Formats: sequence, structure tokens, C-alpha cells
Amino acid sequence: MEFVDIIIPVLKIGLTILGVLWLSTFISMGYRKNRIRKLKVIEETFADVVSNYLYPNPASPLELLDIQRILRNIGIRESKKGNVQYLINLMIRTQRSILGNNHTKLKTLYSQIPPYRASISKLKKFGWYSKALGIREIYEMNQQQYIQEIIPLRNHKNLYVRREAQIALIVFLGWDSLRFIPYLKKGLTLWQQIKIVEKLYDLYKEPQVGKLRPLYSTKKIFAKQLIMRIIRKYSLESEVDYILAHLHDTNYEVREAAIYCLDSFKVIKKEKVEVIKSLFQKIPSASQQGQLLNYISNNSAVDVEFYMSLLRSSSDDIKLRSAEILWNSGYKEQVQEFYLEQYSNPEVYAG
Amino acid sequence: MRTRHALVIQEDKIILKILERLANSRSYSCKAITSLNDLDIEDQNTNFDVIISDILFDGIAPLEFVSQVQEVILHKNLVIVSNMGQEKIKKDTMALKGIAGFFEIPFDLDEVEQLIAGY
Repeated sequence: MEFVDIIIPVLKIGLTILGVLWLSTFISMGYRKNRIRKLKVIEETFADVVSNYLYPNPASPLELLDIQRILRNIGIRESKKGNVQYLINLMIRTQRSILGNNHTKLKTLYSQIPPYRASISKLKKFGWYSKALGIREIYEMNQQQYIQEIIPLRNHKNLYVRREAQIALIVFLGWDSLRFIPYLKKGLTLWQQIKIVEKLYDLYKEPQVGKLRPLYSTKKIFAKQLIMRIIRKYSLESEVDYILAHLHDTNYEVREAAIYCLDSFKVIKKEKVEVIKSLFQKIPSASQQGQLLNYISNNSAVDVEFYMSLLRSSSDDIKLRSAEILWNSGYKEQVQEFYLEQYSNPEVYAG
Repeated sequence: MRTRHALVIQEDKIILKILERLANSRSYSCKAITSLNDLDIEDQNTNFDVIISDILFDGIAPLEFVSQVQEVILHKNLVIVSNMGQEKIKKDTMALKGIAGFFEIPFDLDEVEQLIAGY
């Protein structure tokens, strides 16, 4: 067989592959160009619709049926999922940019133009990502009618799905949704607690202490932490006792949250400070005692007796900190006397 | 009554369109553009009663953009509506001369309406 006989078929195959690749590249480029143009049309049309809805032209106001027809004409149909998804993203983006009366107006508009159950159908999908995205879209667009489908997902086995479901409950039900918290089967991470508190504060600025108090009897660690964070966020001074009651909790993280939340109450009544002082020795961790000592010294007048008692009975760190506070507050003699006493006591000296 | 002129510069087409309609509803004759490149020669002769502009554009620092707008376009009032609402940027921008207002997104359209109604 000659060399030419081999090379020609190889070249032919090579050229065919190259041709197919070029062709597919051109088709793909054409498709993309078309698609981008299409998405641009959707964006511009949606911009027209929303702006005309918010600020109608008195000569030709836009009716709801007109809006539905316009959207249908640009390809927002149930069969075209990509277009519907793009429109949903635009809707969410727009609603996030606007506050006040017009935000409410948009909500009304969104409840009337159907995104063809695109979000709710995602809840039925197998993948956790689709589920979580669907829930997010539902609460971002305030489609409250689907709340019954979301409620069972609050205990979903996937972290992201249950996170979004819990946030959706907060968005739709506000303070009422808190009653679910003690019954959640899986814990709430710190991140999720912060998200819940922030969402609640964003949407429901008015505190409803009556809805919070029934939760106080909970034994769940994450629920205790969440309650304290809510008390902190809303600066509920009447509820500080709940935080104080958890300063000497058996769980380290609950104590940590309690100290952190207490720290944001800068003005605290004298009798509350006395309660904190009485609990001080019951806190099992020296580092947490140190944090609390900082809080006490920053937020109350110097109580010589209390600090002297700490000098005599606490860990080295606390002793040093108490001595420092006394020293800086003008009680040098007492501190000097205490340390001199130690030199005369052979046991302490030897120890 | 003399026609009032407004210029809206926003990259986000939806916000652009909404602000344009808002200005129209307040009987402004409004030009809406997505970047300074869309300005034409005739705009140089117009003294805009109000410019509602973003400050976040490709290839130019926010404060520089504001100075450029102030230099290039004849206007009476400049209002900023932007995604870039960090305290520092807000403070620096408001410290410049001739800024009538700064709204960070999300913002209340009614406040913008109230502000421009008086011009």
C-alpha cells in the first residue's frame, strides 16, 4: 500500500471532523447570539411593563390582561422554561431594588402575572439545589399561596432546603413562625440563626414579645441561642432576665451566646448587675468569667467588695483582672495589701 | 410653562426605565441612557434641570465619574441612585459640591419623586 493511499483517507476523516467542529461552532454562535437578543428583548419588555405599571400613562394605562398578553408575546410560556426562569430572576432583582409603596405595588403585580408555577414545580424535583432555589423564589416573590407546600420542608434532610424553608416561614408568618422553632428536629447553625434574626428584623420591625415568651420553656440549645439573639437584636430590655438566666447554663455555647447578647445592653439596671455578680462564681469557664468581668466593670460603678472577693477566690486571670480594675479605679492600697499578705503566708508562697 | 429636562444614567435597564417613567410622570422631558457614550451632540446644549445617575461604571472610579458628569454635562441638580451605597462612598460623594441627593439601592422611589418635584 502506498503512502498516498493511507494519507488521503486520514486527511478526509480529519477534514470531516474539522468541518463538523466548525459547523457546530457556527450553530452554537448563532444560537447564542439569538438567545442573547431574545433575553435582551425580555429584559426591555419587562422594564417597560414594570415602569408603566408603577407610573401609568394616563392616556393609555396598562391593564393586567395587556401585561399578560405582552409577556406571552415575548415568549413567556409554560413550555419555555429558560425564558420563564430569566423573567423570575428579573422580577426578583427588581423587587430587591425598590422599597416603600412601590415595593408593595410590585408584590401585587407579581401575584397577578403567573410565572407558570415555575417555582412551585421546583419543589417537586429530586435535587436539593432545585428545591432550595424554588423555595427562595417563592419567598422572594411573596407567593404566599404555596406556604402549605413549604411547611413540611422545614425539617428536610438537606441543610440548604431546610434553611430556605425556615426563612420562607419567617418571611410569610413573621413572629408567628417562631412557634416552630422549638420543634425543629435538626439544629440551627449560628449562620442560620443570624439569617433568621436579620430577616425577621428586616420585615417585622415591631417586636411582639407575647409571641416570644411561650418559647422560653424550650430545652433545645439552638432555640435558647436564637431567643437570646432576638432579644439582643430588638434590644428588648424587659426580656434581659432570660439572658441572665442562661449565663450559668450547663452548655458552653449557650453561655457564650448569653454573654455575647448581654454585651449589647450598655445601660442595665443596678439590680440586674447584682444578679450577674451573684451568678459570677457559678460560671464554670474561666475565660467566660473574664468576659463577664469586663462587662461588669464597663457597665457599673466599682464594687470594691465584689472585686476583693474575686481576688481571694478566683483563677489567676480573674485575679489579675480584678486587681487591675481596682488599681485603675484608685484602690491601690487594697491591692498592695492583698499581695503583701500572700508573702507572709508561707502556703501560698510555696504553692 | 417651560419644559423641564431630566437625564437618567443607569446601567440597569429596569431601574433606568422606571426612573424615566417617574420623571415623565412629573412632567419632565426625559432622556434615559445606559452610559455617557450614548450622549449626543445636542445634549451638550441642554441645561438639564436634574440628572439622576449611577456612579458604578466600567473603567472609571465612582468619584471620578461624578466629576466627569459635572464637567461634561450642563445641569442644575445631580442626584445619585446607585448600588454602591457603602458609607464611605456615600460620604465622599456627598462631600463633593453640587450633589442634591444620594439614594442607595434598595431605595424608595417616592423619595426621589419628592426631591425632583421641586426642581
